[in-house]
Amino acid sequence: MRTLSRMTGWLVLALAFALPAGAQQQPAADPDPIKTQQRRAIEQPGNNAPVWRNVQSGQPNYASIPGREAGVLIQPQARFPGQDAIATAGEAWRKFRNGPVTVYGGWLIVVVCAIIAGIYFVQGPIKVHEQPTGRLLPRFSVAERWAHWVMGISFCVLGATGLIMLFGKHVLLPVFGYTLFAWLSSLAKNLHNFVAPLFVVSLVVFILMYLKDNLPEKGDGAWLATSWRMFTGGKQPASGRFNGGEKVWYWVGVVAMCLVVSASGLVLLFPNFEQLRTTMQQMHIIHVVSAVLVTGFALAHIYMGTIGVEGAYGNMRDGVTDEAWAKEHHANWYQDVKSGKEAAKSGAAPQTQH
Amino acid sequence: MRSIALIAAALVALAGCMEIEQTATPSRQGKYQGKPDSTPWSNQPLAAGPQWKQGDRASWEEQIKKRQLGQHEHRRIYQ
Amino acid sequence: MARMKFLVDAERCIECNGCVTACKNENEVPWGVNRRKVVTINDGVVGAEKSLSVACMHCSDAPCMAVCPVDCFYRTDDGVVLHDKDLCIGCGYCFYACPFGAPQFPQAGAFGLRGKMDKCTFCAGGPEADRSDAEFKKYGRNRLAEGKLPACAEMCSTKALLGGDGDVIADIYRERVARRGVKGAEAWGWGTAYGPPPKGAAPAAAPAGGKS
Repeated sequence: MRTLSRMTGWLVLALAFALPAGAQQQPAADPDPIKTQQRRAIEQPGNNAPVWRNVQSGQPNYASIPGREAGVLIQPQARFPGQDAIATAGEAWRKFRNGPVTVYGGWLIVVVCAIIAGIYFVQGPIKVHEQPTGRLLPRFSVAERWAHWVMGISFCVLGATGLIMLFGKHVLLPVFGYTLFAWLSSLAKNLHNFVAPLFVVSLVVFILMYLKDNLPEKGDGAWLATSWRMFTGGKQPASGRFNGGEKVWYWVGVVAMCLVVSASGLVLLFPNFEQLRTTMQQMHIIHVVSAVLVTGFALAHIYMGTIGVEGAYGNMRDGVTDEAWAKEHHANWYQDVKSGKEAAKSGAAPQTQH
Repeated sequence: MRSIALIAAALVALAGCMEIEQTATPSRQGKYQGKPDSTPWSNQPLAAGPQWKQGDRASWEEQIKKRQLGQHEHRRIYQ
Repeated sequence: MARMKFLVDAERCIECNGCVTACKNENEVPWGVNRRKVVTINDGVVGAEKSLSVACMHCSDAPCMAVCPVDCFYRTDDGVVLHDKDLCIGCGYCFYACPFGAPQFPQAGAFGLRGKMDKCTFCAGGPEADRSDAEFKKYGRNRLAEGKLPACAEMCSTKALLGGDGDVIADIYRERVARRGVKGAEAWGWGTAYGPPPKGAAPAAAPAGGKS
């Protein structure tokens, strides 16, 4: 879990840097380029420098055909973070997407998978120290499980299709060939477009439903600081219904990053609201960067929720957990449930089988 | 055991510093990139229209160059 | 080896939109798509108005080609940038990347869903069999395979728009500029940079083969 917390820091930092400044610099402006051009036509006929400056500036001019930005001859200038030269917005976007986003994004996914595999094969999954008691506690209500799985499954569909569109050209295309890969990408694009609204709605429902138990508590910090012991077979500090790591995932991964991904994605999903190319380029970069980061984060969550922690998957699948598991992983929550405090809070009666 | 895993992870992370060629099939001038398309000169010229020898690139280019120079009204009109 | 290019002469374009119409007619482009457009700068200002016709510039380092997630673009032996509509998924990335706004998308459904990308083909069709029905339906006429040049350039009434091998049309343009009055080198504004030309000097480039 310490890796998780450290990763969170990087995520926030990377996201802050990833926001394109959208810096648009103009060359020293001619106060009245039209007058200059009129003068040029007499003094130096054929020298249309003021007109060419206008063309390069990317400002809209008159075009008789309809269409958004039809009057723009060359896109305006832009520069994304880390680029040393200003360029046409499309060129800057191309360099940023094909450069850092693809290279580092791709390696991020690979590295996260490698770390997870390393933990799994070297340390093995986290086991429950006590024998299962056979007494089951209700942990997630039916509504909570639906909210989680609708969001989770749509997230996985979006993640997989997004990865195909960003990295498929480098990974799948050489294997599949053009025809099959284009068919797959076409399917991926349409799935991505049509599953996205479902994800956005379920995301909002999920955030509201899980908000109360994810509010920061005393002891979250201590949990984050010492929970790494559980990877080496040790015991972890007591925590409430959700531990510090789950809260970081909730606030950083789900609330912050998924909302950023959703908002930027909606701008790209409906290109018929007169948004310009510059907006879509910036939104695309925000979308892809935050999506790759949250995918890496989600891989860690999926690992911890399935094979990484013994018994974790069953909790979300069936909604109930064994007392031994609850005592091991969420000791404070276990105490609350046992004493009836949690039941009063969530309205669920403790279901014990003696 | 853990140190081995850490070293391995560090090595993998180091690979992230590489710059790689972005295009799966780098665009090369005059090379088709996996997508077959016939060349203009491989066609039989239309009965009514510009003529060239089928399959002969040079004759097609010769013909198209003549046509390009047709856009040069100084030559077209005064020669 | 020919490298097909367009060149538009801002001194000659009169914004008649003949090239736009010729293109639409020749290629029967999808509804809502204009492969070529004419943009007027300083519209209506006497002495400063200039018009330019622009379509796909068939870049040597084409951004559309670089960002396409399915790699559907290719460059022909003549330097024409074409794409395969069977592979295109309509993601819109080429439209983000192109400086000139050449790639366009017919709306394929509600909410701005993009169809297959359409752009200027330099009247060279696409990967279907040359001059076939399928090629015409997807990409328009293949005039290069008929031994002709793009319809827009050949139709241009003032010959402001030139199309063809970059070397040839650059030569045409150079001769044309050299003939533009006695101003000669001044037309380029070189007089400002290098001082006035010596007295009695000939125009910068003697037009080759001209008789007048």
